[in-house]
Amino acid sequence: MSLLHATWLPAIRTPKSSGRPALLVWADTWRVANPIGPGTTPPLHPFSLDHQKLRDLLIEKDLLPDGIIDATACLTLPSRTAQTKAKTKLSKKELNNQEISEFDWTGLPLQAGEPIPKTCEWWPWQVQGLAIEPACATTWLSKLPLSGNHSDLGEELRWWSHLQRWALSLIARGRCLPQVELSRGEGYPHRARWVPLLNREDDRRRLEEFSAQLPLVATCALPWREPTGKRSNRVTRLRPEAMRAANPIASCRPRSGRIRVATLLEDLVDAQLRKGFQPKTDGLDPLLSAWQMALGSDTGVITLPDEEAERLATASNHWKESVAGNVAAARACLELFTPKEGEDLWELRFSLQAEADPTLKVPASIAWASGSEILQLGEIRVENPGEVLLEGMGRALTVFEPIERGLESATPEGMQLTPAEAFVLVRTASRKLRDIGVGVELPASLSGGLASRLGLSIKAELLETSRGFTLGENLNWQWELMIGGVTLTLRELEHLANKRSPLVRHKGAWIELRPNDLKNAEKFCSSNPNISLDDALRLTATEGNTLMRLPVHSFEAGPRLQGVLEQYHQQKAPDRLSAPEGFIGQLRPYQERGLGWLAFLNRFNQGACLADDMGLGKTIQLLAFLQHLKAEQELKRPVLLIAPTSVLTNWKREAESFTPYLKVLEHYGPKRAANEESLKNTLKTTDLLLTSYGLIQRDIDLLTIIDWQGIVIDEAQAIKNPNAKQSQATREIARPGKTNRFRIALTGTPVENRVSELWALMDFLNPRVLGEEDFFKQRYQLPIERYGDISSFKDLKACVSPFILRRLKTDKAIISDLPEKVELIEWVGLSTEQKSLYSKTVDDTLDAISKASRGQRHGKILGLLTKLKQICNHPALALKEEFVETNFKERSGKLERLEEILEEVISAGDRVLLFTQFAEWGHLLQAYLQKRWRCEVPFLHGSTSKAERQLMVDRFQEDPRGPQIFLLSLKAGGVGLNLTRASHVFHIDRWWNPAVENQATDRAYRIGQTNRVMVHKFISSSSVEEKIDQMIRKKSKLAEDIIGSGEDWLGNLGVNQLRELVTLEDT
Amino acid sequence: MINTSGSNNEITTALGKQGLSEQPWWVEQWMELINSYRFKKRLERAWTYAREGNVTSIRFEGRRVHARVQGTDEDPYKVKLWLDVLNDEDWEYVLEALTQKAKWSAQLLAGIMPSDIERAFAASGRRLFPFKLQEVKSECSCPDKANPCKHISAIYFLMGDRFSEDPFVLFQLRGRTRSKLLKDLAEQRRKVLSKIVKEKQENNKENNEQKKNYKSLIKSHPAVSDPSLWWKYSANLNAELVVITPAMEGDTALDSAGEIPLAEEPKFPDARHIFWKHIEEQGQVLAQRAMLQAMSAGE
Repeated sequence: MSLLHATWLPAIRTPKSSGRPALLVWADTWRVANPIGPGTTPPLHPFSLDHQKLRDLLIEKDLLPDGIIDATACLTLPSRTAQTKAKTKLSKKELNNQEISEFDWTGLPLQAGEPIPKTCEWWPWQVQGLAIEPACATTWLSKLPLSGNHSDLGEELRWWSHLQRWALSLIARGRCLPQVELSRGEGYPHRARWVPLLNREDDRRRLEEFSAQLPLVATCALPWREPTGKRSNRVTRLRPEAMRAANPIASCRPRSGRIRVATLLEDLVDAQLRKGFQPKTDGLDPLLSAWQMALGSDTGVITLPDEEAERLATASNHWKESVAGNVAAARACLELFTPKEGEDLWELRFSLQAEADPTLKVPASIAWASGSEILQLGEIRVENPGEVLLEGMGRALTVFEPIERGLESATPEGMQLTPAEAFVLVRTASRKLRDIGVGVELPASLSGGLASRLGLSIKAELLETSRGFTLGENLNWQWELMIGGVTLTLRELEHLANKRSPLVRHKGAWIELRPNDLKNAEKFCSSNPNISLDDALRLTATEGNTLMRLPVHSFEAGPRLQGVLEQYHQQKAPDRLSAPEGFIGQLRPYQERGLGWLAFLNRFNQGACLADDMGLGKTIQLLAFLQHLKAEQELKRPVLLIAPTSVLTNWKREAESFTPYLKVLEHYGPKRAANEESLKNTLKTTDLLLTSYGLIQRDIDLLTIIDWQGIVIDEAQAIKNPNAKQSQATREIARPGKTNRFRIALTGTPVENRVSELWALMDFLNPRVLGEEDFFKQRYQLPIERYGDISSFKDLKACVSPFILRRLKTDKAIISDLPEKVELIEWVGLSTEQKSLYSKTVDDTLDAISKASRGQRHGKILGLLTKLKQICNHPALALKEEFVETNFKERSGKLERLEEILEEVISAGDRVLLFTQFAEWGHLLQAYLQKRWRCEVPFLHGSTSKAERQLMVDRFQEDPRGPQIFLLSLKAGGVGLNLTRASHVFHIDRWWNPAVENQATDRAYRIGQTNRVMVHKFISSSSVEEKIDQMIRKKSKLAEDIIGSGEDWLGNLGVNQLRELVTLEDT
Repeated sequence: MINTSGSNNEITTALGKQGLSEQPWWVEQWMELINSYRFKKRLERAWTYAREGNVTSIRFEGRRVHARVQGTDEDPYKVKLWLDVLNDEDWEYVLEALTQKAKWSAQLLAGIMPSDIERAFAASGRRLFPFKLQEVKSECSCPDKANPCKHISAIYFLMGDRFSEDPFVLFQLRGRTRSKLLKDLAEQRRKVLSKIVKEKQENNKENNEQKKNYKSLIKSHPAVSDPSLWWKYSANLNAELVVITPAMEGDTALDSAGEIPLAEEPKFPDARHIFWKHIEEQGQVLAQRAMLQAMSAGE
């Protein structure tokens, strides 16, 4: 897949050029290329798309910008280099004669996401791209997604879209002024320009963030130049020496910096303001009139005599200076200290503070002492520290006059303030100072944050008698008023308020009282409040929560309450609960924790979503939980489990083997209970009723009659669309009936990150948590999905995280619990078409086999088995269809299930190997999967050429954006390949020989594999696949002797044995 | 415009909407200087000249002001104005005095003319501002023998306004450009400081060592050791950029900056205000547009 990039082409200032910068869009893709040695000019980037392909790509993505020209640029990129010996030895003479000689130094540019090789150098590469003129570039950048990972967009595009958003914000807030940029020499024009002013504290902080996070690929380009000095818009073929002079082999130094980012920002702001500005010259003198015309023109060129332009430049600069200073690495900072005990005057110290990290400060004395040297603040270099400090103090003087007293000496380090001045500083001047770019550090208790407000300090514990499981139960608690980190009583507060001084000292700390503080505190005290366990859970969920409008500054829980809170907020791993009596098999440690967690939330009557990664055993944990209820005599009424049809069989089989004491029944098929009476009858002896999403919708009236003890939904993403009928029915049935119902959802998708799907899920689990759907959309979904608003996302996560447990197979704690290979049997049913085709084939062939001679029989039996296997895969395969028709998925139970699992695996970003023994099936499947996921799915089979094979394997292993699904035929792909990037292996059909399957599995599981490998084996239940599987398991010891290395052993079965094996069991 | 009021028959020019009180102090001082001139009639005529746009150009070239005034003659008269330049020795004194007070450097660096700057010049026995109009030297190519003639006087009026474009023009007339002045000032300060520093260093060797350590800390860009950073950007949109909001009333950069301090062209008395107003209006339109664009992002 190609990856789109964008990098800034700085303006080349020549007398003739338009002098405008441009955004260069380019793309690279994975392909095989030979390392290139340096030539006279930077070599052509071998992985980049040419102009036409790039246009095609942009059109396909609906991202073709306006205002583009074909362009070529020289990009500095990290490159994989190698020193190899020259292939042919040339004499010196020959070398001199050759323009591009054989170099023994070669390299290739790296691509994003590729593993970094040991030897890596920065090389210049010639890249074709499309140059977007600045105003169109800003429009284009506004259209890019602001959040999320997009596998076809380079990460730097998101940086650009964020920068553009900042530019919009500056324009919206009016933080821009027009300026004049003087000519750089004879023949160059003077230009009018809009510049953003980054004097405000938040903008300055943002500048530091943007420069610290700048992905260097965004600024690594130089325009490719024709030897005439003009920027080229095509690849030129000119005399090499002239090209070399114009485009030397030179790299940009890897560096970022605030100046660079500020310039980019300026270019973006300038472009869009110039585009939108409508000049109006009525009543203006010629000077202002010329300037205004240029401010709205494309190129910004001002046509004025030099002296006039210079006058305008000086005046406009002086004008700007009154608002904002220069961008520098550090700023002046004023630190306020409270008076010493018994004294009246406050101390104000001057210091120099790093913009990038306000905690990096040095006192003024060091700035004075460093003279002309560069001052190092941590890792930050500050040039001319004395001037930086002085300029800041000069600005400070304009908004906080008392400073003047402190600047009487040559090297002032601080001064004293009267209480009144200190109050002005705390209350108003500090904000103004920060606005003009001067740092202000106030004592913590006065810093204006939440902590400096009047609030509460709370201590609480569960009641003696409580078990801590009931919401709404009251707690034992004490509270105190708290402000600026110190506690105080109501009486003390009254006393302080009576002093009528805005800044007062209490218990050694200086605090600022606000007018309503006393009133709020009195109100709180007189209300004599209680707090409940609910309050405790809410108050400890996030910072800054309030109780009756007073912020809670400290919440100290007693040991028992603390235990409940920690478990609830998942601050510690859930307590383990070992496998209950009657559970056959073993739980892994993390599964015991999962069981403990389900039990914990159940006691709170809270819905739980178990979202473990595929393959970690959600089914087992759920079954263990039900068995746990049963063993504790708590399972009194039936539980309803809703799942996609394709996994119902799987549930039944798993329950049979792990929890044989649970009575499980399917509510499915034409023979299912059709009325209240028969349903109630069947449920008398049933613990767990299985049904499908389809039926829950159809039989909703019948199913809601039952007083379920709990509702479980498997593959919970099935209800992601809140308005779909099956989602509504599912949520309806989860509402409490006469008594409470537990609600459990199982899913393997990363639910927390799928904001749009969360509401329906939470409405099923715990309805009130996220409010009504409209509220949810406005409050969370829109800001998060559209703008990637991280603070809303954090809030949302805090709301839902108590109810979601998700463990990944890559978690350290999980890896140690897992074997290196995890084998999973996927039980699937057959579609109606499969069933009838299967029965017909068996009926037709068995007869023929019994009549056949001994010699023929062997072959006929194997033929039948093969045919049946094909039917289990897909009827189309058995019927030798060549194309993927409509309803293709629905015709096969196996394909339906395969798609569900692949969906989950692919959305988790994992890579997959699919093995089949039928090449025809591989081709059909390839066509289907490519269409389904709109991506390339390579298929390696017997007739793949050696070169193609290597290419497929290399791409799968190396290409950072390579295919996630790799289809292989068992025989061609089963040996010799190294495909360790895969963490899932699927055996779609069975080769009834474990040795062959294992060999194929080992393609992914090899030495060097750090992932755990999940091996999925599909078995169509009730069919020959299931029965032979059982046979192999039963005879596992004998197996190797009987089975040998092929499937031949099956040919020697007797007719009766065969009949038993192949007959489809009615289910 | 001429404003004759009071018994002193004092002339002031009304510059800008807010009137004289809004003028920087050095412009006021210049106007006072002019008003101290005895021949009021000539001043009035000069003001009419200036107002009617007879002054076609004023240029600050090095230490002199060159101007052209359209008089009765076909070709404009050439006017030159200059002040006595301070010699290097004088400047030494001034610079030394300026470093005595951090405030002066601080304000000059921030682009502000310190109101008590004359005190620093007093150290050299010289002045920045001329004390009397006679100190302003001038020449005019007109046949009028009187100095200042009305052409020169017309320039006087317009000069005050030009000072507000760039207060450092005064320093220039006295022999130092802004950049030269700031550079000299920084050097002078370092000279003074190095003495203090040396004294301190002897008491404080730790500081010295610390500095050495700082130097060894100069690091190359992190992408040099981890080239994958070349492509990496994992940050979320800054929370403050999620919702794009307009400026609060009167809180734009344009509001803080006010009208541009560009000398008024007498024929276009309201030009600066019109310019400001138009930028403001357009700024609001563009701000609206930016907010709309931001709102539809990611759709």
